Amino acid sequence: MEQEARKALDVIHADHIQPGIPTALLDLQERKLVEVAKVMVKKPEILVVDENTTALSQKGRELLYQLMDSLKKEGKAVIFISHDLDEIKQVCDTLTVLRDGRIITHFSKENYDDDAIKTSMIGREMQGDYYRADKEPTWQEKVLLQADHLTGSGLQDVSLKIRAGEILGVGGLSECGMHTLGKALFGGAMLTGGTVKTEGKAYSDPRQATRLGVGYVSKERDTESLCQQASIRDNIAIGGLRHIQKKKLILKRRETAYVQKQVDALSIKCRHMEQPVSAMSGGNKQKVVFGKWLGAGSRVLILDCPTRGVDIGVKQSMYQLITKMKNEGKAILIISEEMAELIGMCDRLLVMKDGALQKEFLRGQMNEADIIRCMI
Amino acid sequence: MGKQTWKERVPAFASVLGLLVLIAAYYIVGAVRDANVAYGLKAIVNQSVVVALVATGAVFIYTLGSFDISLGAATGVSALLGAMAYNATGSLAVMFLVCVGVAVALGFINSSLASIFNLPIFVTTVAMMSVLSAFMLILIGWNGAGDTIKVKGRDMRPLDNIPFKVVILVLYIALCWFVFTLLPTGREAKFIGGNPVCARLSGINEKKLGIIASLISAVGIGLGAFLTIIYAPTLTKDTASSIGMDVIIAIVFGGMPVSGGPRSRILSAVVGAFSMGFMTQIMSMLNLGSGYGQMIKAAIFLLVVFIALGSQRGKLLTR
Repeated sequence: MEQEARKALDVIHADHIQPGIPTALLDLQERKLVEVAKVMVKKPEILVVDENTTALSQKGRELLYQLMDSLKKEGKAVIFISHDLDEIKQVCDTLTVLRDGRIITHFSKENYDDDAIKTSMIGREMQGDYYRADKEPTWQEKVLLQADHLTGSGLQDVSLKIRAGEILGVGGLSECGMHTLGKALFGGAMLTGGTVKTEGKAYSDPRQATRLGVGYVSKERDTESLCQQASIRDNIAIGGLRHIQKKKLILKRRETAYVQKQVDALSIKCRHMEQPVSAMSGGNKQKVVFGKWLGAGSRVLILDCPTRGVDIGVKQSMYQLITKMKNEGKAILIISEEMAELIGMCDRLLVMKDGALQKEFLRGQMNEADIIRCMI
Repeated sequence: MGKQTWKERVPAFASVLGLLVLIAAYYIVGAVRDANVAYGLKAIVNQSVVVALVATGAVFIYTLGSFDISLGAATGVSALLGAMAYNATGSLAVMFLVCVGVAVALGFINSSLASIFNLPIFVTTVAMMSVLSAFMLILIGWNGAGDTIKVKGRDMRPLDNIPFKVVILVLYIALCWFVFTLLPTGREAKFIGGNPVCARLSGINEKKLGIIASLISAVGIGLGAFLTIIYAPTLTKDTASSIGMDVIIAIVFGGMPVSGGPRSRILSAVVGAFSMGFMTQIMSMLNLGSGYGQMIKAAIFLLVVFIALGSQRGKLLTR
């Protein structure tokens, strides 16, 4: 059986994965590749790839693209579902745009046009800036989050500060430790050393962090940031029960008003607030996660891949929301594998490699080639 | 924003509708068979009230996605010690306090062990079940007459009436509903049951919730033990032994998933417990042999669960 598994992994060039180890010990990217290998064993005539690349690093993506290409050459078909326009343009011969469950239009490769595709995806012309319009780094003096010498779980003596009104970016290759750093800054990682403080108050677990006004949007939205079977109401209210309570009691009317405020503020598309989040689109799910922390009054937000798996219209509204939060004086940390997002949104960018910070780039001085050189 | 449609609401009320249908069926069958319906109702309450009490408390533990296999043994030990306390003092108040106190102490030990050793509550209750079953034998050996511990039935008779039992049940359900619905405890417990990782990363204290759930459940066990002595003053090593399984059936019958989480409801337990009681009585009135009766019960059980879980079927795993 192990030999067969080895063969299946070799077919997709995932030779770095050992077939004998439990999948629980693999990271998400490797699990996705195992999933792909499992599917390929069945030698499909039609392969459906449904937003798998959001979980993959560039290397993983390249493996999948190669596989799709070889299937195409064998005369088989691939249905590739993605929100990533660049990726679609790179790998797809034809594009069908769906919106609200309906086919809107079709494009062939020679007719690909960014604006036309975006307009058909969101149903209107994109208005306003996509990323931030300003080109200079800005922040206030007050330090809202300070981490000193974080060590353990793959981190090596990481120290950083985020000031009020600042968007700090953290970038690097998928396994550089940036996702662990996000969790560690929320008190959710096992560390052997170091401290995290917000406004001078130290904390060491998510409960304390939450009470001190720190919010965390996990990269693994569906498994770490949301309770899928629970309703929109429950998912948003859980972060702000302290605010909803009156004389220690949770009254449904107050809770409804609290949730409705977030639903309206974030333009969450839903039939009603009792709808389970499992039935929502990726973008709306992410808005629910944002609603949880914004409603709770978080002053520091740690956003790990905040726009992962969301469509381009929601992405723009997320960027506008993050800019608004910056203008309100919140401290925001964006961890991302998307270079354009980091360059477009951050005041400062820290590049990580092998669990340590490598270099800092300031807004206006961020150059993609320099950043990549630093990452690898 | 719109509101839930009736179709979306039905699964949540399927178990209550099921109970209403069973009540109607009970009266219809009673009329057709010319049975003593009032007497039968008394039997239903007597059979169901202890299960309803223990199951209502256990909802807190099940909501967390956990499982308490020691419910029956804990009820048995609480009842035995309560009976011994009554025999020693002759005081019903002391008997009540011992029943509840012992159950709370056991719940505290269960949850504390789980908290200290970082174990699921289920694991500690497995160990506790063995210890308590052995303890029941020891208690009967020390203090019993033969294989039993008895209290005087006539002393219990003033409390062995339906209004008293119903009042105890209603008060306890009200307490549980209050904690579950109006305090953060219920919301947080549902979240832990639905996704423990997300709950932790939302700042919820899982250990604290585990202890609270065990203590609330223990009060139900204590009350159940008290009413067990009143209804059946002769206690044996098998007293309350079937409660653990009855509680699971009641909870599922009441429309709540045993896996807990956001669809957990306090009323599930009481609805399920009384549904079982009515079904048993209907089968008895129809003179169905235990074989046919069991099969019909199983079919109705599956039907209710099928309707109650309607909204969950056909869903794929999330990406």
